[in-house]
Amino acid sequence: MEMILALKALVKSLLFVLLWSFCEGKDSDLNYVTCGSLVKLLNTRHNVRLHSHDVKYGSGSGQQSVTGVDAADDSNSYWQIRGKPNRPCQRGVAIKCGQGIRITHMKTGRNLHSHHFSSPLSNNQEVSAFGENGEGDDLDVWAVQCDGDHWERDEAVRFKHTGTDVYLSVTGEQYGHPIRGQREVHGMSAPNQHNWWRSMEGVFIQPSQEPLRHDEL
Amino acid sequence: MAAKGMNLCNVCCLLLYVITAVLAGRDFYKILGVSKSASIRDIKKAYRKLALQLHPDRNQDDPKAQDKFADLGAAYEVLSDEEKRKQYDAYGEDGLKEGHHSSHNDIFSSFFGDFGFMFGGNRQQQDRNIPRGNDIILDLEVTLEEVYSGNFVEVVRNKPIAKEAPGKRKCNCRQEMRTTQLGPGRFQMTQEMVCDECPNVKLVNEERTLEVEIEQGVRDEMEYPFIGEGEPHIDGEPGDLRFRIKVLKHPVFERRGDDLYTNVTISLVEALVGFKMDIVHLDGHKVHIERDKVTKPGARMWKKGEGLPNFDNINIRGSLIITFDVEFPQTQLDDQQKDGIRGLLKQGSVQKVYNGLQGY
Repeated sequence: MEMILALKALVKSLLFVLLWSFCEGKDSDLNYVTCGSLVKLLNTRHNVRLHSHDVKYGSGSGQQSVTGVDAADDSNSYWQIRGKPNRPCQRGVAIKCGQGIRITHMKTGRNLHSHHFSSPLSNNQEVSAFGENGEGDDLDVWAVQCDGDHWERDEAVRFKHTGTDVYLSVTGEQYGHPIRGQREVHGMSAPNQHNWWRSMEGVFIQPSQEPLRHDEL
Repeated sequence: MAAKGMNLCNVCCLLLYVITAVLAGRDFYKILGVSKSASIRDIKKAYRKLALQLHPDRNQDDPKAQDKFADLGAAYEVLSDEEKRKQYDAYGEDGLKEGHHSSHNDIFSSFFGDFGFMFGGNRQQQDRNIPRGNDIILDLEVTLEEVYSGNFVEVVRNKPIAKEAPGKRKCNCRQEMRTTQLGPGRFQMTQEMVCDECPNVKLVNEERTLEVEIEQGVRDEMEYPFIGEGEPHIDGEPGDLRFRIKVLKHPVFERRGDDLYTNVTISLVEALVGFKMDIVHLDGHKVHIERDKVTKPGARMWKKGEGLPNFDNINIRGSLIITFDVEFPQTQLDDQQKDGIRGLLKQGSVQKVYNGLQGY
């Protein structure tokens, strides 16, 4: 009788361990934003996606403008997540909370950028797209602020500009012609409800197996 | 009597053979052309190659094409899943549980994207009037190790898909000229926006996994398209998703075409008396180098077949070219050592003065 009870307990605990290890294994990078992925970023307060295009600001720095758009099917809203200048991140590895990244506009190859210029509509800090072929300067680096260890795909995160300490934000001001209806995207110094962003559509790269093991290098 | 017995025996044997042949199920390893110990990567590679060859659209005059293609899909579905492969190895095809079978179209499109009509020109040109969504181009960084051995990258594509919604919407809007009569002999032409009515659509986000193969020998800027995986177009077809390969620089090897270049620094002693060493290659195997003669600085060693596989024919490989440079001893020599060296090397003073930059 005792033997049977002990056996039952053993089997139960074995099953539990099996299930638990199975769950651990399943906690793959399917739910994280990873290095090299292409994403669309949605501002959760104003429901617009981070966007850029070959239109320059008429004031401030005169660099390529960055806006927020309502449309969900515009390929000009895709941005690639890359490592800092001269410090590439490994393809497929989840971005850590606090990690510095560059956010590169897919279509034009320019990096999300900020600097001490005023934004045209709200007089906050201007956010532009800068550089060529993904290479700009140190003001292209943004730190991902989130809870937990890594940037989860369905989590709202903040982007803090490493050079000037402002948060990527939208407060609702709208442009007129030629980009009618698009919202202004700027940097604000305080974290608040206007600077939460979520990853939406995109191409999320999973980590690959090493092609073959190395002992050295 | 004996003949009758023989006949019965033969018939029984035949029956048994037929029964086992039918019940034994398909040999998935043979269908994919891989060994029983093949890795997941080998299996994916074999599937991708055969799927392009055996697709029914490509074999329109083969009546068995559909069956062969279906067998290929079933083989991949089982052998690419660890659980199912274990069951198949132990119990054969019949031992597989009746779980959920993904359609072969799903498997095929996770390697190549939607729309099987990739054969014979990427898109049928007669559909020129159908509007297309934007293309998406993703720069995929690959290491030289991956170029050497190949690899697969799994990718999750989350994209908006047009779904039916209640009501109607305006589509195909265009400007048209309308003529209205103001009075006898007096007309006015105005421009008017005219739209058709179409069933309403809304965009819903859906997700699926795609597999990109980094083929051996792939070159910088090469593209792998996934038809139909780009941005949707409400009135037309979705665009494509294209992975553009970007080969990263390597700390040890430099690529030039199919050849690899590397540098090795040896000591002055090794340069004079000879040496033995191993260079660890991109897949971990060792390239053995031996010298017993004097090695001059700048000397090059050519190792055929140790370069990268050629993309068009992976049986052809480039060469590994090793350039040696010499590190001189850091310490200064005292007079006794200097005399010793003069005696050992027996090389007179040379001191030739010439213009080294113009090849004199």
